[in-house]
Amino acid sequence: MKVFGMTCDDCVFTVSNGLKSAGATDVFVSLENGTASAVVDDSVLSPQDLLKIPVFGEKSHYKAQVRKVE
Amino acid sequence: MNLGEEYDLVIIGRGAAAFSAAIKASELTSGQASIAMIGYGPLGGTCVNVGCVPSKYIIEAANVHQAQINTRYPGLTGVRTEVDFPALMESLREAVLEERRTKYSEVLRSYANIKVFDGKATFTDRNTVSVIGENGRKTISGYNFIIATGSSAKVNKIQGLQEAGFLTSETVWDINTLPKTLAIIGGGFIGLELGQSFSRLGSSVKIIKEHSTVTAGIEPELGEALMASLSGEGIEFMTGRKVLRVLIRNGKKVVVTSASSGNEEIEADEILVASGRTPNVASLGLDHAGVKFSERGIAVNGSMMTSNPDIFAAGDVVDQKYKLETLAAREGAMVASNMFNHTDKSIPMDQIPWAVFTEPQFASVGYTETEYTLRFGKAESRTIPLESVPKARILRKNHGMFKIVTDAETQKVVGIHVVSPYAAEFIIEGVYAIKYGLTYNDIIESSHIFPTVAEGIKLAAQSFTRDISKMSCCME
Repeated sequence: MKVFGMTCDDCVFTVSNGLKSAGATDVFVSLENGTASAVVDDSVLSPQDLLKIPVFGEKSHYKAQVRKVE
Repeated sequence: MNLGEEYDLVIIGRGAAAFSAAIKASELTSGQASIAMIGYGPLGGTCVNVGCVPSKYIIEAANVHQAQINTRYPGLTGVRTEVDFPALMESLREAVLEERRTKYSEVLRSYANIKVFDGKATFTDRNTVSVIGENGRKTISGYNFIIATGSSAKVNKIQGLQEAGFLTSETVWDINTLPKTLAIIGGGFIGLELGQSFSRLGSSVKIIKEHSTVTAGIEPELGEALMASLSGEGIEFMTGRKVLRVLIRNGKKVVVTSASSGNEEIEADEILVASGRTPNVASLGLDHAGVKFSERGIAVNGSMMTSNPDIFAAGDVVDQKYKLETLAAREGAMVASNMFNHTDKSIPMDQIPWAVFTEPQFASVGYTETEYTLRFGKAESRTIPLESVPKARILRKNHGMFKIVTDAETQKVVGIHVVSPYAAEFIIEGVYAIKYGLTYNDIIESSHIFPTVAEGIKLAAQSFTRDISKMSCCME
């Protein structure tokens, strides 16, 4: 995923926690690249659903877009 | 993909919708989204360069000139002053340049993530465009696209028109000679605004229209009121006339028209074609991108998404009822928000106000009585003349009308339409009334400033419940 709005390690922590709280596993967030990768069980949560979790929500400082699904 | 030419967001166009989208996307992503803005022609698009800004400039100048001649009040003698047309037009062009500099060119400096490309973009596949500019061809790819290429002056095929030469709302700003006689083909709001301005500055203006109304889709009685007012100051409306051809005779341009009464020739120094706007969809390669479109523009859903879910469209290029700068800018911002917030917000078109900046002005929001009746079954309406508004009598301006349309059962306001001085300034009351589902009683029970022209909306609301000619001043 491309993640917009991260500026520091605290942001990485917040985004990582947000993804994990939503049910994603193997979460890796890169401040340098502004990206995140995660594994989801798409029978429970689709990659597109991840974009609507609170940490990327309308009131959040962070925004995300799916770039690649494997 | 070539990483050096890959962007998070590619915006085709660089007018109001494009800028609004680019800035909103930048804000939402903390300036981290890489944005390519591709277009040609001056920055800012129609509004600032050839639309609202220059037209309102010449309208205001013409109004000042008119006020010097017709002071309206006994005891104040009118003075006919000279019009230095070249100087006026030079100042107009400078005003456009200044507005473009402050609201577009300099604004870009605040956004390092936005890169502007000069050239024409054509889709080569669903996420790539080829840009051809002065510096050659460039390929730009993106994960998201917004098409905001705007519209152009529509010029119908008329025999001899190209050979004779003509002006449009895009080229009229370059002239330095006031035409003594001006024939306007088409009488929509552009034709009316420019027609009145040129008439007030000294041109003899004839507006040639195929239809009998001034502008399609407006309340007929208000259209008639506006037309009567403009006719009253010397503009000649030639309605029910089809333009057959244009020719040059003895150095003059001649518009040959036909009507049920027979053919008629209109001779003029200059011809202004004001037949509306046409969306800029040609040469975009939309078929390659899987974007559906027609000659009316790009088809979108409520959230402005095209038939390709990665491509949105905003502004005049969209197949929609209104072509307005404010709507384009709002759509641009909304599209960026939908794109990065993953929302599907939409804009209710029945809450979009629009205006014609003639004098008197025409302003409207919501449904006409006919539109609402056809769609929902039953509407009620009340219309009052402008002369029933005290401020209008004080202004000694009596050409105009207020009309309120309501749902027959709920009494909720569904449309407000006005021909009056300052109508564009207070039509926002109608926007709020419709947006918040207000009834005519809600308007009656809201105090309006006395004396204002806007009080006409309250009087029109009161006319649902009583004979307003039997009311004392300001009573509820």
